[in-house]
Amino acid sequence: MRKLFSIYAMAIAVLFFSCEKSSDRAAASGTGVGGSLAKFTIIGNYIYAVSSHYLYTVDIANPAKPVSVGQSVLNYDMETIYPYKNRLFIGSKTGIYIYSIDTPSAPKLIGEAKHGRSCDPVVANDTVSYSTLKGNSYCGPATSGLYVYDVKDLNNPSLKKTIPINEPIGLGMTGEALYVCCANEGLKVFSIKNAYNPIEIKTITGANFTDIIPYHDILICWTDKDISLYDISNPLQPVFIKTIAG
Amino acid sequence: MRLRKIMPFFCMAVLLLSCWKPYGEYDNSTYGNKVWGYKPVYATEAVAKKVSYTPGARQVISGGNIYAFQNYIFQIDPGLGIHVIDNHQPSAAHRIGFINAKGCSQISIKEDKLYTNSYDDLVVLDFSDLNNVKEYSRLKGVFTEYRYGSPIAQPPTSGYYECPHYDSLVVGWVKDSIYQACYKN
Repeated sequence: MRKLFSIYAMAIAVLFFSCEKSSDRAAASGTGVGGSLAKFTIIGNYIYAVSSHYLYTVDIANPAKPVSVGQSVLNYDMETIYPYKNRLFIGSKTGIYIYSIDTPSAPKLIGEAKHGRSCDPVVANDTVSYSTLKGNSYCGPATSGLYVYDVKDLNNPSLKKTIPINEPIGLGMTGEALYVCCANEGLKVFSIKNAYNPIEIKTITGANFTDIIPYHDILICWTDKDISLYDISNPLQPVFIKTIAG
Repeated sequence: MRLRKIMPFFCMAVLLLSCWKPYGEYDNSTYGNKVWGYKPVYATEAVAKKVSYTPGARQVISGGNIYAFQNYIFQIDPGLGIHVIDNHQPSAAHRIGFINAKGCSQISIKEDKLYTNSYDDLVVLDFSDLNNVKEYSRLKGVFTEYRYGSPIAQPPTSGYYECPHYDSLVVGWVKDSIYQACYKN
């Protein structure tokens, strides 16, 4: 009997492990994937939401009765939230803030990378984070461009490279490609085989790109009032599929 | 005799009282000239925060955040609701419905529950059956800053608008002759 139990336990552990592996960035336990400009994200049994000055935590273990478990007051002018494993990367007008959710009901600030005042969504994995800074008059005086940080030491992210881009907005990454939306200037495709030194491969023009989601083999693009789809079976060479007109 | 002494002070106090305005009661008329601009349309909390689903394509007023879940794509129409796109076959992807959710700006999905906001409420929708998408639960007033920071709290285009009263919920905007009090860039 005891043996049977341990076999079950192992089977369950293996199942969970397979979840973890296939789904570093979402799809875990049946969640979807948001764009880099999102302010809402679900990890496990919690929704994390940011507004300008708050990080809200809501327990949704029982969807019939969501419970608010936290509202942290923060003066960061927060704009976006990006989940990766047990971390939240929060883009704000003053920098990137990294939260640990090892205690899921109580996110804890563990690292930050401050920069000049600007708008900046962020995407990240274990070793690197990419963010776009838009230094126009609305967002602030920082230099517009793609900022690459080494985040291996979460307590101390270090700036590795800055690539000037006029008006970058949303961004997204797969294993080897990084996509950066540049409004009317198009969508820039970078190779990130060397994570800290993205190489620009091409720019796709013809639409006004605001944000994107790489989703399996499809790149979902928010292009003004439309949604445009690209095939990214070859991540560095997106192939246009169609535009779903608004 | 004593009354006569107090009287001027009393009058002054009454006069000064007219200067006092309750907090939040913005008087648009103190702002100069009248111009052609946007005027807020209000609704009661119950009407403003009602969430429903309408099958079929809906014209996009302005594009917002995108979200992918299984073979569906969602796009926020800021302040108005969520467009639902069937993406089972990307080359034939098409719009199939619209979630009416005034004051909404965000979306996230887990299993067959869709989480969004209507102003400051967290609204949970059951969309396991696309022919019968309905409100499943709600947590009122949780996202305090989304109440007035809602995309619909400002008019759709730039220009002068009548400053809304913050004790009410704005559900839309109409063009009218207004005092040039608030301005959207």
